[in-house]
Parts: sequence; C-alpha cells; structure tokens
Amino acid sequence: MKENILEIKDLVVHYETDEGCVRAVNNVSFSIGKKTILGLVGETGAGKTTTALSILNLVPNPPGVIKNGSIILNGVDVLTLPENKLQEVRGKDVAMIFQDPMTALNPVMTIGEQIAESIMLHGEKDKEKALARAKEMLEHVGIAASRSGDYPHQLSGGMRQRVVIAIALACNPRLLIADEPTTALDVTIQAQILELIKELNRKFDTSMLLITHDLGVVAEVCDEVAVMYAGRIVEWGTADEVFNHTLHPYTEGLFNSLPNLRKRGEDLVPIKGMMPDPMNLPEGCAFAPRCPYAVPQCEKEVPELIKRGTHLVACRAYEDGNFKLRRNSNG
Amino acid sequence: MIRFITERLLQLIPAVLISSFIIFFAMNLTGGDPAMIIAGDKATAERIEEVREEYGFNDPVIVQYLRYMAGLVRGNMGISYVTNKDVFKTFMSRLPNTVELAFASVFIAVVISIPLGVYTAINQNTWKDNLGMVFALFGVSMPNFWLGLILILAFSLRLGWFPSGGKESFASLVLPAVTVGLGLAALITRTTRSSMLDVIRQDYMRTARAKGASERRVIYKHGLANALIPIITVVGLQLSNTLTGSVLAESVFAWPGIGRLIFDHISKRDTPMVTGSIILCSILMCLVNLVVDIIYALVDPRIKAQYVKKG
Amino acid sequence: METVTAKSTNVQYKSRSLAAETWRRLRKNKGAVAGMVFIVILVIATIVSGFIYDYETDIIGQNISERFTPPGLKYPFGTDQVGRNIFTRIIYGARYSLTISVGAVAIGLVVGVLFGSIAGFYGGLVDDLIMRVNDVLYAIPNIMIAVVVVSLFGTSTFNLLLALSINAATSFARIARASVMTLRGEEYIEASYAIGLPQWKIILKHIVPNCLSPIIVQTTLLIGTTIIAASSLSFLGIGIPAPAPEWGAMLSEGRDYMRSAGYICVIPGLAIMVTVLALNLLGDGLRDALDPKLKK
Repeated sequence: MKENILEIKDLVVHYETDEGCVRAVNNVSFSIGKKTILGLVGETGAGKTTTALSILNLVPNPPGVIKNGSIILNGVDVLTLPENKLQEVRGKDVAMIFQDPMTALNPVMTIGEQIAESIMLHGEKDKEKALARAKEMLEHVGIAASRSGDYPHQLSGGMRQRVVIAIALACNPRLLIADEPTTALDVTIQAQILELIKELNRKFDTSMLLITHDLGVVAEVCDEVAVMYAGRIVEWGTADEVFNHTLHPYTEGLFNSLPNLRKRGEDLVPIKGMMPDPMNLPEGCAFAPRCPYAVPQCEKEVPELIKRGTHLVACRAYEDGNFKLRRNSNG
Repeated sequence: MIRFITERLLQLIPAVLISSFIIFFAMNLTGGDPAMIIAGDKATAERIEEVREEYGFNDPVIVQYLRYMAGLVRGNMGISYVTNKDVFKTFMSRLPNTVELAFASVFIAVVISIPLGVYTAINQNTWKDNLGMVFALFGVSMPNFWLGLILILAFSLRLGWFPSGGKESFASLVLPAVTVGLGLAALITRTTRSSMLDVIRQDYMRTARAKGASERRVIYKHGLANALIPIITVVGLQLSNTLTGSVLAESVFAWPGIGRLIFDHISKRDTPMVTGSIILCSILMCLVNLVVDIIYALVDPRIKAQYVKKG
Repeated sequence: METVTAKSTNVQYKSRSLAAETWRRLRKNKGAVAGMVFIVILVIATIVSGFIYDYETDIIGQNISERFTPPGLKYPFGTDQVGRNIFTRIIYGARYSLTISVGAVAIGLVVGVLFGSIAGFYGGLVDDLIMRVNDVLYAIPNIMIAVVVVSLFGTSTFNLLLALSINAATSFARIARASVMTLRGEEYIEASYAIGLPQWKIILKHIVPNCLSPIIVQTTLLIGTTIIAASSLSFLGIGIPAPAPEWGAMLSEGRDYMRSAGYICVIPGLAIMVTVLALNLLGDGLRDALDPKLKK
C-alpha cells in the first residue's frame, strides 16, 4: 500500500453569498500517494480550485465556508489547525502555484528576495544563506543565478512561472499543488514548464496535484487522474485506466469532444447542455440531465463511488457488472 | 539617475522665468499706485512724482521687468515697498515657520491616516470601515479655518492648554498643526483606503499567503508596499500645498509664515515682495516635486527603471 | 440543443436605461439620499427666504437691544453682536455659497472639458502644451490662486467666479482628457467605425456617456470644495463683504466674540460643513451608482 501524502475525506465547501449558497465542493474524497502526480480534471466551475485552496485552508472567508471534511497532510488534519500552525505548513509541507504568472509576483521585491522569503519564513534566520539558497533554486528551474536581483517586470511570463515554481519548491514541500500552471502561457513555453514539473517531481520526490481542464497536459504528465463535475469526483484511476478504459459518461463525453486529427471533416461532438448552476444543484446525479445513458433513477439519488480495483466511478450504471460505455464497446 | 535629477533642476529656470513674468506683469498692470503707497498717506503730489522717478515707475513695464530680472541674476530681490526691508531676507526669516507647520501637519496626518486607511481597507464594509469613512468624510467637508477656531475655542479659551496664536513656544505649534493635519488626514485616509483596496485583490497577495507569511506581513510588506505610489503622490501634493498655501491657518493662528506674508503684501501692491515670494515659492514647489519623484523611484523599481532609461 | 431547466428563483433581467439604473442604485444609498434631500431643502429655503424677508430690515438690519441672545426658542440660532437673527441670515446666506460655487464650477466645467477634450483628442504638441499649463495651475494651491486673482483684479462677483473656476477647470480638463484618450483606443470605438457608424454618432453614443460619469461625480464634489474656497476668501476679507450674510464673512465677524458668544462663530461654520457634507455624500453615492463594475 503506497504511503499517502494527502488524504481528503468528505470535503464540503460552500460560498455563502447574498444571491444564494454556491455549493462548490460536495463530498469530495481522494488521496495522493508519495511521488505521485494526480491530475484533477474538470471544466471551469467544477470546484477544482476551491478543493485545492482548501488544502491550504486559503478559501476566501467570507464568503467561503468549509462545511465539513478532513484533510490529512502528514498525519495532521489541516482543517483543525490554528492560523499560526497553518502558516508553518503553507510553503513548507505543501505549496501551491497559480494560473497567471504575470500577476503572481510582488512587483517591488526582487525575485531572489521572494524566493528567500519563503526560506526565511520556514526556519532559516540568516538572510545571506537564504539568498544563496534562492539562487540555487533559480538554477534548478533553469534561470541564471545572476538574475536573482531582477524584478518581476524584467522577466517574461514563462520565466515568471519558473520563479513561482522556485518559490513553491524552495522548502522542499512534500506536496505541490499546481492550479492550471500553463493555461496562461504560450504552447511552446507550456511544454517547457511541464518538462520542468516532471523533472522536479523526479528529482525531489514531490507529489503533485495538477489541476487542469486540458486533457493533453494530463496525458503528458500525470500518473493518476481524478475527474470532477459539479463539485464531485465522478471518476478516479490511473492515467491508463481513465484514458484507455474510461468509465464515467462525462469523461467519455470529454474525450469525444476533443477534435480528432484522424476524423477531420466530421462534426465536433460537444456534450449537450450545460453544467448545472452550483447554487441550484439537482437532487440526483448532477450529470444525469446531460447523460446519454441516464435512467429515471439517476435523477433521484446521488451515486456513490463504485470500485473496480484501483479505478473508481460514481455512476449507478455500474451496479450492473456488464455495463460498458460506447467508447469501450467499440474499442 | 543623476542626469534625471540634473534635468529637473534645470527646469527650475523656466519655472522661475514664467512665474516671475506672470506675477510681475499682473501686479503692475492691475490698478493701484505703488508710488502712493510708498510715499505715504500725507504725501503731496510732488512727493509722489519724486517717488515715481526714483523707483522708475514711469518706465514701461517691460523695462521695469528687465531691471528686476537683472537684479535677480545678481542675487538681489529688491526691497519691500512697504517695510523697506530686503525681500529675500524677510522671506527666508518666515520660511522656517511655514516649513515647521507644514512638516508637523503632514506628520500628524500621515501617522493617523495611513494606519487608518489600511485598517478600513482590510475591514471593508464592516462598522470599522464605516466609522473610519465617516471620520474621513467629516474631515474633508470641514473648512479648516473653522476647525482652527473651534480648537482655539475649546483648547485655548476654555481649557487654556494652548496659546491661541502667535509663535512663542512649541505649544504654539500644536493647534495649528492639528488643524491642518486633521484636514489632510481625512484626504490621505481616503486615498490610502482606495489604493489598498486595489492592491488587496492582487494575485501576489495570495502567493504570499500560500508561502505561509503571516497576515500582518502580507498586508504591509506585500500590500502597503505596492499601494504606496498613489499615497505618496497625495502626501507630496499636500506637503507642497501646505508649504505654499497655508494662508488660512496662518491667519487664524497669527502664525508668521509665508502664506500670510504674500497675502498681506499683495493688496498693498508691494511688487518686489510678492514677486520675490512667488518666485521662491515656485522653486520650493519644484524641489518638493523632485523629492517626491525620487521617492517614487526608491519605492517602485519599475519607476526607477524608467528614470534610468531616460538617462 | 437541449437546455437544462433550473428550478431556480425567477430572476428578471429588465433592460434599464443608464439614468434609470443609476437612480435606482442611488436611492439605495441612504447617505446619498440624505445629502440630496438636504440640498433640495436648502435650495428651496434660501429661495423662499428671499421672498419672505426684506433684506434691509431682516437680514442686515441691526437690533442692538436683542444682541448676543444665545440660541433659544425665539431665535433658533441666536443673535449676533448687533442683534441680527442668525438663523434667517444663515438660510438667506446660503444663496451666496450656492450661486457662486455652482457658477464657478459651471464655468470650470465648460472651459476644462473643452481644453481637456482637445488635448486628449489631438495629442502631441497640443496635448503637451495644454497639460503643462494645466499641471502648473493644478499644483498651485487653490487658495493662493484665488487670493492672487482677487487681490489684483478686485472683489467683484465676476472676479470671484473667475478665481474659483480655475480649480474646477483643471480638474475637469484632466478627467476629460483621460476619458477621451482611453476611449480613442477602445476596441468598441474601432468596431463602431468598422461597422460604419458616423463620427458624430460615435461621439454621442459611446464617448459622451463614458466621460459623463466621472464628470458628474466631480461636479458634485467640486461644488463642495468651491463652497469652502469661497467662504475662505470671505473669511480673509477678500470675498463677499460684510454686512452680507455670507457664511465665511459671518465667521470672520464672529471671531472677536469667540470668548463670550462662541455660537456666532460656530454656527456659520457648521452650516458650511453640513452643506459640503451633503454634497460629498451625494457625490460619493453617485460615484458608486455610476460604477459599471458594480452592476449586479
């Protein structure tokens, strides 16, 4: 049994606004093992970022409220920690990088200082030593150490994202959360950053939670994949299982809607309908209204996760052991 | 950077030329006869004509102006028509008083308003924010000369804690500085708050929190540090304003500053005193602006880069 | 294409005109409403007082036997050093503050918007020249400009208006220039050209409404600032002269009697403060109501 760095159980997060209650995360449970890269996939609004912020307990409050759940990191439930203990955990045991590198860095501090800040927040008292280590980190992410005195505005988007990664990894966290780290970058830079992430995972044994809506990125980098829809995990398994032996109808829909170079000239196949409004989630399975396999029972109860070995799926169709998606039937 | 500073210092020259030109001509071409003022109430018509000849008032204005500028280049600002004292010396004797008042007021204002502005921004839309904003609102709605009178009424006449005017001791500085300072505080609080509100939404605040920085550190080292530019602008402008325009506070408190100096002499058509004072004031304003611009560069490396690029 | 029906509360999306939407949002702001109501009452009161009271007897007529009466039932604000009813003087005197400040701001509006728009539209040398002059005028404290202008040119109403309008003009010039420059580059302006809208229509439909909001807000706030400036000049003795019941002049007169009859001084200042407060509340409310980013 692989040792788990992170275990999330029954996480429920709501945003309580004037217009209503946004049920962003609804009973999410998953875990990440040592050295594993888990891709968290889903459309915008599925609850991926909120889940990630919960791990650091950084959900903006107000209006966000963590209603229920436990997040075990290194044997401690992060959600029970007081603020000062949380600050020790953030940046050191778990680090997070965000989507837009252009605005993620403080414009009036040098990149060296910003990396060193993380180091000094977690034990290093000597500023000189921290700055030296910061320069080392810059080298690790492919930036010349001589640039540690530069300011963010002197760097391109791709380089800024590398600095962000350097800051995140400066204290050697056991878990790195990357929220759409390449979405805002050019495709060529994207490839470089992904390579960097893979390399760092190998070098430092860091586990990663990689949030993305891009299945291509997942295929490139991830060991395991979890698919989120309307605040719930609908499928979870290894990359091979999810890509080649897809179980959930939503995941099938995602793959079908990708343009296929071999099928040029054919119509694109989008998933009918839209993701439900998180302020007004339906009673039963949230995907049922759009699901080509749905039966009336689906709209009555929320399906539990059903196990097929290491592959989990939240779809009552699998109560029948013989059920197969069209995608898998055709091969 | 040095070139930047030198360029700005050179800009003092056109500033002096333009301001002196405008005020000199304005004073000479708008009624009032300086000869009569100099000669005095009981002067005869002949005496007045004598004075005119003596001072060159019969010459065309442009000639008088050039004569004045010639004197200026030699470092001579002339003598007051009213007091017969050297203009430059008089101005310089009153300048320290205004500087004292200006810095004391700005100091009081900044000490109150920046923490208050930050506090209301991070507690936006709570009663703390509303209270702070009410204070700021009252502050900008109040005429400062009225505030001065109220303070005199309360703390000087009724309680006797402070003198009601003049400049005898350190205690004399308190009421005028508080009067001007509170008005400035209201304005600076509003600016600080709105600048902080912009900064608080920025992504780098979240990055800092994700690093494990304490909330205090995030607000000040990452937040306020980036909010400073507009705040410095306002503080600089207010400092410049109080240095050159405190005539109201100086009137209320009989504070011997340069605002009141100009005011007293302008109605008496005392061209040398007024022209000289205004020239020196414009130099003062340019220097304050220069210092503010240098502070910008120290606070924000992007601005420093712009200055260095330009040369 | 199937759509998912949401069992949600009925959300109505009514399309409102800008003015109606602004008014609706403004009404929700209690402070702004209070400010508006106060201003309206004040304006009405000062107009009415012109008809009810006779200037010579009621406003400036002296009544030595009743002098120094503190505020009470008969005289709500008391009487001053020569027995004049302070309450009626305050109400009547609002006209000076209001007309001078509105007039000065109006002049400043026209001149400032004109020059600012020209500067923003043409750019280059024209822009440079106009903005340099503007920056110099902006940097000089308002009081100083007013003192210099009035001292040199005389204290007629026209000169007062002129002196006070300069501050407003510099503010409006900046706003107009910024608005015009931003809008010149906006993509939807280019798009309008691209679909063939005539230039005047573009100006009217797109440029003007976007410049309008900051100008409206600034007008309200500037009227307040100008009221303070005007009363400052009267306080210094170079504005509206006594015995006219201009609030600043009243304050100045009351100085000598601060020790014994402080209310003579305090009340006119209070009048100024409350009026400017009302204008600031209204102006801030307008700013929030007109902010398109807050559209719900």
